[in-house]
Amino acid sequence: MSRVLVPATAAAALAALAVSGCGKAAPSTATGGTTNGAAAPTANTQLPATTPAATGDVAKITWATYREVGTLDPIQAFDYPENTVDTALCDALVKQQPDGTLAAGLSALPEHPDDKTTVFKLQDGAKFSDGQPVTAADVVYSLKRAADPKSGGFYPQVFARVASIAATDDHTVTLKLKQPDFWLDGELSQMAGIIYEKAYAEKQGKKFGTPGGGIVCAGPYKVGSWKAGAQLTLVKNDNYWGPDKPKVGQIDFKGVPDESSLTTGLITGGIDGSYPQALSALDQLRSNPKVTVSEGPSFAMDALVISSLKGVLGDVRVRQALSMAIDRKAYIQTVYKGGAQLPRTLANPGSWGYGREVFAADWAKLPEPTQDVAKAKQLVQEAGATGKTLTLGMTSEVSNLNSAANALRTAGEAIGLKVKFKAVSAQNFINFFTDPKAREGVDGFPTVNYPDYADPAAFYNTFVSADGTQNYSGFSDQRITELMSQARETGDADARAKLVAEAGDRIMQQLPWIPMAAPSNVLITSSKITGAPASFAYMGGPWANLIGSK
Amino acid sequence: MRSFVARRAGMLVVALLVSSFVVFASLDLAPGDPLSTLSGGRTLPPEAVAQLRAQYHLDDPFLERYVHWLGNVVLHGDLGTSIAFRESVTSVIGARIGTTIDLVLYAALLIVVFGIGLGVLAGLRRGPVDSSIVAITTVFAAVPSFVAAIVLLSVFSVNLGWFPALGGGDGGMDTIKHLTLPAIALALSAMAIVVRVTRVAVRTELGREHVETAVSRGIPYLQVVRRHVLRNAAIPVTTVVGITITSLIALSAVVERAFSLDGLGAALVQAALSKDFAVVQGIALVFVAAFVVANAIVDVLYAFLDPRVAIGSRAA
Repeated sequence: MSRVLVPATAAAALAALAVSGCGKAAPSTATGGTTNGAAAPTANTQLPATTPAATGDVAKITWATYREVGTLDPIQAFDYPENTVDTALCDALVKQQPDGTLAAGLSALPEHPDDKTTVFKLQDGAKFSDGQPVTAADVVYSLKRAADPKSGGFYPQVFARVASIAATDDHTVTLKLKQPDFWLDGELSQMAGIIYEKAYAEKQGKKFGTPGGGIVCAGPYKVGSWKAGAQLTLVKNDNYWGPDKPKVGQIDFKGVPDESSLTTGLITGGIDGSYPQALSALDQLRSNPKVTVSEGPSFAMDALVISSLKGVLGDVRVRQALSMAIDRKAYIQTVYKGGAQLPRTLANPGSWGYGREVFAADWAKLPEPTQDVAKAKQLVQEAGATGKTLTLGMTSEVSNLNSAANALRTAGEAIGLKVKFKAVSAQNFINFFTDPKAREGVDGFPTVNYPDYADPAAFYNTFVSADGTQNYSGFSDQRITELMSQARETGDADARAKLVAEAGDRIMQQLPWIPMAAPSNVLITSSKITGAPASFAYMGGPWANLIGSK
Repeated sequence: MRSFVARRAGMLVVALLVSSFVVFASLDLAPGDPLSTLSGGRTLPPEAVAQLRAQYHLDDPFLERYVHWLGNVVLHGDLGTSIAFRESVTSVIGARIGTTIDLVLYAALLIVVFGIGLGVLAGLRRGPVDSSIVAITTVFAAVPSFVAAIVLLSVFSVNLGWFPALGGGDGGMDTIKHLTLPAIALALSAMAIVVRVTRVAVRTELGREHVETAVSRGIPYLQVVRRHVLRNAAIPVTTVVGITITSLIALSAVVERAFSLDGLGAALVQAALSKDFAVVQGIALVFVAAFVVANAIVDVLYAFLDPRVAIGSRAA
């Protein structure tokens, strides 16, 4: 499960809107700010995932998303605004913590009596915002609805290996699997694992999740008021059963597509916080005492999607040469103003949600990517590709995609390739991901992409497995496939991490995609409030209940 | 009067019909897929896609979809369902129309009061007052609303903190406070044009023989101005004010975005970019209707201002 991101910029406010309208907004640090000296991430540092804990109550805050929220139905939440709101409204079976690790949510951590059985035992006292207890029937209903393609949701693939979902008693739900699947625990820590009240959802029918229907969940907030396409107000759920009781009385969610409005809003106090997708004014905000800018671990990766292996990139040596020739340091400086790491794997260190020591050891073992044009040139010659044409899909209307394409062009030309751009408008850029016709004759295109929960495997799977949603080139490597499927069936976290890390190493040699940078997540809040996770986990786990006054 | 109303109503229907077809067709030709708003570009399971496409009739031929949509509007008054908001277009419009009406009325008020007021002042007072008004309006007339929005925000909101930077307020004085900067941004260049047209119209009337005669006969100056100058100058001024105010309806989109107002214009831009057909259609129809109605009001005003003009015919 991973998504495409198309970062937006001020220069192309409308264009950016269009792209984000397509559902894929930018990575938080697309045009990031300077990281102050000590915080500069080095090879194996993890940025802090949290901000100082909140101490006091706040009556009301306004939170900005890059556009208005479209739906509250978790199975249709697939983009920043919906995810941000659903994680404030609803608890999932498993909790995604700020550092990406999994913890007990509505259920205790899942038990696996055997490899093909996953058991969720509901927590005592878990109740919905209307006071009704969360029962196994609600869980079965929510999961079955998420699994059913006919519900019009986006997560049926999560349940691909699930044979049956049944309540064994009032507090226990058992999933029988066709094949072992230890990715399921992580998948159920995000939208696919959110539980809502069955009776309410059935009563609302088609209106469920809409402004007219709303939702009843078991999260720290509940819907206060919502006018279609306008401001959405959440209020504190006084019945919240979980440990971190909300400290903010009311949260107004406001869609602010315009970058300068967002900046102005943050400075003037009209907006109290946001996880911005792209903000060229980050430096300006950093130096403003009224706001606090925090950088944390992100799941996102800035990379070149290789969409065809029929052309010049079909030879692994050319892929390696291209990767070797990229001036990543300059790219990170230009686009992220330093707020990104040099990628040693295709997974951002922020996405190590388990087996962290294993992944860290693997990362330490791998070389930092350094530019070596002479060696790269030689590789291209060996491959007999000198003078051949590399065609890149790009848009010059979105500044960091433009920078990425140009960095790749410079690299390609330096190693003796002819580089051609297939330039499209910002709105049409999404077609490279969705339309095979748009990809015709295109060898690759830049992206910022992320998995739904902190697991490198969740990200790799989309472009290395045969049925991967983003495996546009039909990439296949027997060893990687073996390692991935072994990992999926391995219950022990460290053992699984070992397999995934090994697959990651091999992926870095084979380069089905070429990594550009591992950006950090950005959080901006008013200096009066604190507590929100600095990490990307707000997209899948609770965050709003951690906010309060300093 | 009755035939005027009937003619205008007929015009309105034709305008709505034609524009709805044009909007529908151009949106159909535009690139992109409304489902990408929902799916974010990820390859969706085929069943989910089929489900969504059927739900929103996305695979029907263009004409069939148009006729289906039109039928629902005409027969049931149903403008359709927004794909992005999963809600009926009527309620999307209902939730947002208030802001746009407030904004446009506020801006119109500014244009009428300051545009005409300063124009008359400049027309009557030659000398430094006149030249400074002319100089300032020359600058203002050249400032597009999105630039005005940025400057106003930076000066009055960020630096001085007098006005809020975004949002539409909670009603009453709060709304007025929130809408002041957007209304100024929206009205500024139109206001400058109205000032200039008013000034020239007043000057022209002042130079007319009957005005000079009236002045030379010793009729009090103020009375001459009121009866002969302003009344006659009102015709071209009304034309310009009418045109500029109707254009505000469309321009509001830019300002609403800059100030993050939940208005129709902002919704229109968002919907057009995400190919949310029903919303684009619904809002476009509201705009077209507003345009036609505003024009009709201007025509009625002509007849009221100049008895020689029959209602519904254009003033010379």
